[in-house]
Amino acid sequence: MRQARILRWGIAGFLCLFAILYLFPYIWMAAMSFKPDAEIFSGHVFPAAPTLEQYDRLLNGYHFKGLTLVVPFLTYYKNTLIVTLASLILVVTTDALAAYAFAKFTFRGKAFLFWLMIGTMMLPIYATLIPTFWLFSKIGFINTYHALIWPSVIDAYGIFLLRQYMETIPNELIDAAKVDGAGPFRIFWRVMVPLSRPALGTLVVFRFLFIWNDYLWPLIVLRKESMFTLPVGIANMQLRQGMVVWGSQMAASVLATVPVILIVLIMQRQFLRGLLAGALKA
Amino acid sequence: MPVLTPSLNSPALSPAGKRQHASHRESAVAPYLLIAPFFVGFIAFQLLPILFSGYLSLAEWNGMTSIRFTGLQNFIALSKDPRFWSALRVTLIITVVCTVVGTAGSLALAVLLEKVNDRLASLLRVIFFLPSVTSVVVIAYIWRYLYNTDYGYFNVLVQQLGLAPQKWLQDARLALPAIIVMLIWAGLGWDALIIAAGLRSIPSEYYDAARVDGASGWSEFWHITLPLLRPTLAFVLVTSVIYLWGIFAQPQLLTGGGPLRKTQTIAVMLYEQGFLYHKFGYASAMAIILSLIMFVSSYLNFRFVKAEVEY
Repeated sequence: MRQARILRWGIAGFLCLFAILYLFPYIWMAAMSFKPDAEIFSGHVFPAAPTLEQYDRLLNGYHFKGLTLVVPFLTYYKNTLIVTLASLILVVTTDALAAYAFAKFTFRGKAFLFWLMIGTMMLPIYATLIPTFWLFSKIGFINTYHALIWPSVIDAYGIFLLRQYMETIPNELIDAAKVDGAGPFRIFWRVMVPLSRPALGTLVVFRFLFIWNDYLWPLIVLRKESMFTLPVGIANMQLRQGMVVWGSQMAASVLATVPVILIVLIMQRQFLRGLLAGALKA
Repeated sequence: MPVLTPSLNSPALSPAGKRQHASHRESAVAPYLLIAPFFVGFIAFQLLPILFSGYLSLAEWNGMTSIRFTGLQNFIALSKDPRFWSALRVTLIITVVCTVVGTAGSLALAVLLEKVNDRLASLLRVIFFLPSVTSVVVIAYIWRYLYNTDYGYFNVLVQQLGLAPQKWLQDARLALPAIIVMLIWAGLGWDALIIAAGLRSIPSEYYDAARVDGASGWSEFWHITLPLLRPTLAFVLVTSVIYLWGIFAQPQLLTGGGPLRKTQTIAVMLYEQGFLYHKFGYASAMAIILSLIMFVSSYLNFRFVKAEVEY
């Protein structure tokens, strides 16, 4: 018994130590963002004289020998927010509607369409990259929000996740609504959506993370700096300013990461639980 | 697939009158309306592009001139392209090492996390989960600076230990391992979380029975945990193999595929050929090969795990 307790404490101690080491890159990122230029290359982890200089530069421009370099960081932020919100609303709606059909209806071609969807879900984004890029350059979507929003609405994984959940909603509830004279769309709003809330929550967090952090596709369809999202913008800072950029790039990284961490902390229980449920059934 | 809908009853079998017939017809159209928004987008941004990619892989095209059909020319050229073989090798190494070490590591982490009290475990879970929710661009730049030869923290540590500083990302021998270490670090928490879900789904009666028989912790792990965890491990394996075969941002941002293409993955080469040189046909052929590789490796994983379960 005593041995078991010592072992448990040992494991807890080991895990805490490991967690601190694991966290080190984040600690380093945050520490860098509060260092003045003179300390960036000092070799110490923590700043001796912490400053908000890097954040000030990021937001107000960098003055150097009479030149002013401005990184339109707030524009990156705005772009990312717009794309993420628009995409979330669209993707959750289309996914939920389709999941309802696959979970609670019988129709001709259902199995075929479902497996077609699941089959293409397995294919990498690279299988659609070039044609979609070409199409978008033909119809003038390059450097627009459209280029980011519309493809991100196609989310077979979300349909799969929601369908699994909706199948567990008892048919009696749907029948009762039918007896009351509700049509399929009314049933969708009044029965399916409220009862699927945990799965919808998971999907929202999931898609938020994906769209907020997506890099490859925005990199391909965005050429103008005024349209960049946060990941593309942060990556681009390196190319613009060379070595000087360490501090402000880490400041940008902190500002881009904080909302994501907050959302995960706030939604932690629901998100993780839903994620676990989805993963198990997959 | 379970068929649950009550309106399934065909009119011939159902004794009801016209009213029910009307509602039956309504719900015959409804599902198509429900899936329409998705499938319109699916056809435009998924199905047609995939088919077009298949066609482009058999053609030569730069996006401007007309498409010239060349048969299997792209695939033949790829088979003779040392850059492609190198990329294939690099991606295979990344995939195998990260999957094996990463899965073993996250399994150990998940098992250990179950042994500590719940509040500490959930705090630790959030910490290990952070890289899964952080932009790969942010992660790549943090590590790029940590690996920096002149001012990076890893070389500060190395020098404090009295060793010579290394050119982590410029040394042809070190660059790939450096990227792999970062990838394993970044993937640990996600896999551990999924494995944790699997661990919790194992009924505790199994462990109780084993304890009655006097089984040790290790034999519990080998004879109960591991066999019953197979479906979960299969899921982790398949998802990480698919993810790693397509890895792009991390090598692109850390090393740009260098030095000497030693870290150039298939996806990085595809991006280079397609979007920097506009060789759309050649890049499409690579996309097709990549898709096939992912398909086959998922299939093999499933087969392997299934065969193991049935013994």
